[in-house]
Amino acid sequence: MNEWTSYQLQDFIPFTAEVYFRLLERMSETFWPLHLLTLALGVATLVLALRHRTRIACLLPAPLWAFVAVAFFIQRYAELNWAGGYVGYAFIAQAMLLVVMALTGWGIDKASRRTSLPVVMGTAITLFGLIIMPLMAPLSGGSWYQAEVFGIHANPTAVTTLGLVLIMLRGFALWIAVIIPALWLVVSGLTLQVLDSSGATVLFAVLAIALVGLVWKSIESRR
Amino acid sequence: MSPLIKHRTKHRITRRQSLTLIGATLAAMMLPTAPLLANTGGMRQKTFAGTDKKLPVIGMGTWRTFNVGRDSTLLDARTEVVKAFFEHGGGLVDSSPMYGSAPDVMGYALQALGTPESLFAAEKVWSPAGGSAREQVTELKERWKVEHFDLVQVHNLTDWREHLSTLQEMKAEGTLRHVGITTSHGRRHSEIEQIMTSEDIDFVQLTYNITHREAENRLLPLAEERGIGVIANRPYDGGSLIKNLKRRDAPLPEWAKAECGCDTWADFLLKFIVSHPAITCAIPATTQVEHLRENMRAGHTPMPSPNARQRMAAYIESL
Repeated sequence: MNEWTSYQLQDFIPFTAEVYFRLLERMSETFWPLHLLTLALGVATLVLALRHRTRIACLLPAPLWAFVAVAFFIQRYAELNWAGGYVGYAFIAQAMLLVVMALTGWGIDKASRRTSLPVVMGTAITLFGLIIMPLMAPLSGGSWYQAEVFGIHANPTAVTTLGLVLIMLRGFALWIAVIIPALWLVVSGLTLQVLDSSGATVLFAVLAIALVGLVWKSIESRR
Repeated sequence: MSPLIKHRTKHRITRRQSLTLIGATLAAMMLPTAPLLANTGGMRQKTFAGTDKKLPVIGMGTWRTFNVGRDSTLLDARTEVVKAFFEHGGGLVDSSPMYGSAPDVMGYALQALGTPESLFAAEKVWSPAGGSAREQVTELKERWKVEHFDLVQVHNLTDWREHLSTLQEMKAEGTLRHVGITTSHGRRHSEIEQIMTSEDIDFVQLTYNITHREAENRLLPLAEERGIGVIANRPYDGGSLIKNLKRRDAPLPEWAKAECGCDTWADFLLKFIVSHPAITCAIPATTQVEHLRENMRAGHTPMPSPNARQRMAAYIESL
């Protein structure tokens, strides 16, 4: 038997669905009501991004990426999966990238926000991450503590940021800025798939829409 | 004549009493036997590794199920599972440094419950966990909060030559009791066979269940011949076997109930495994006390005969 072909996706997920959803609850139990502040920061970032205040809009989510890196991945997720620590460092790298972009203005898209389809898609993804994602768990029968919130939990932080960079950035910088959020959403989607959660489909759908927006924006900016 | 015999001879049975007794005996023989045995019989045990020591045929695995981190709610829930395991006559608990916080969770449970006499603590060394085999064993003992391990295995054959040699030294020094090697999913069976033939090991852990029976060809006969204990992992094929049977609403055959006391699919699948003469124990994993109880009941007699085992495998293939 070929050793590698005998592995299945579930062989790489060392915890059960119960443990994963309790992890989300534990984050909420520990940090509530910080959620209100992180959501307010998310909404402020979206408004600033749409008003061309791009540098400050890049800066605001950076501390939230660092917070999720430490509080979610390094302190909690890594207890369950040794790879969690490395994902935490990747989230810190994303925080630093956002700071660099804010300081240097690298890749900032100065074009009008009104006429661009990628901006519409980016706004929709951002609103989805900020408003719809926190409602998904309570609406599907879970507790409010299982609600995933931007700046507290990893998935809505990655989704919202994916939408924001689609609005704010262009060219090579845009592609660089989506690498870590997109890779995490792939990993998280596969994890949820193993755990038999419908959240996997949602994440893959967001990724597909974001990819269309990225390609569209890249083609648009070459014209 | 002793007073006891004198006493007995005073109570002669009349013909009427004899007829009543015969009638009662016949009625008792017609009752279904399985539930009676399940309630009164103990867990079946098997000797292992050429010793006269015995292990209960149903052990417990901890992959995925015991990796709960520092979640106090889930730590207490898993402690209840461990408590039920030992209350139902359990012995071997198997873990690994690859299983995240599972060794710490066992430590939490043993600290809360005390260390039961029947505990047979089985761990593994695994190169990616870092440190030498000695360092890993020392760290794992602290995490489990035990003074020694009954068995330490080389996980998935990683650097097995180096690790096995160190583990054998530790066994000779008396710091651990038995050594072994593990594989799963049918991987690297030819290398496992080579190690079983050339090395002095007490246990081999491998995947064996009703749909994955490759080990029957060479490894299980070799284990019997060499007196090596066999731990069967993935008895439910990672849960998919029992899930599929329940999803299909497959009927548990009546003959399995009558012949080997299979009241549940857990009975059917686990009895099939542990009734193989070479298998020392199976290690199903669970998060729920009720499922644990089902698993433990499967270790009670009656066990399927060789003919019944063939019938069981054919039945699953036919579904």
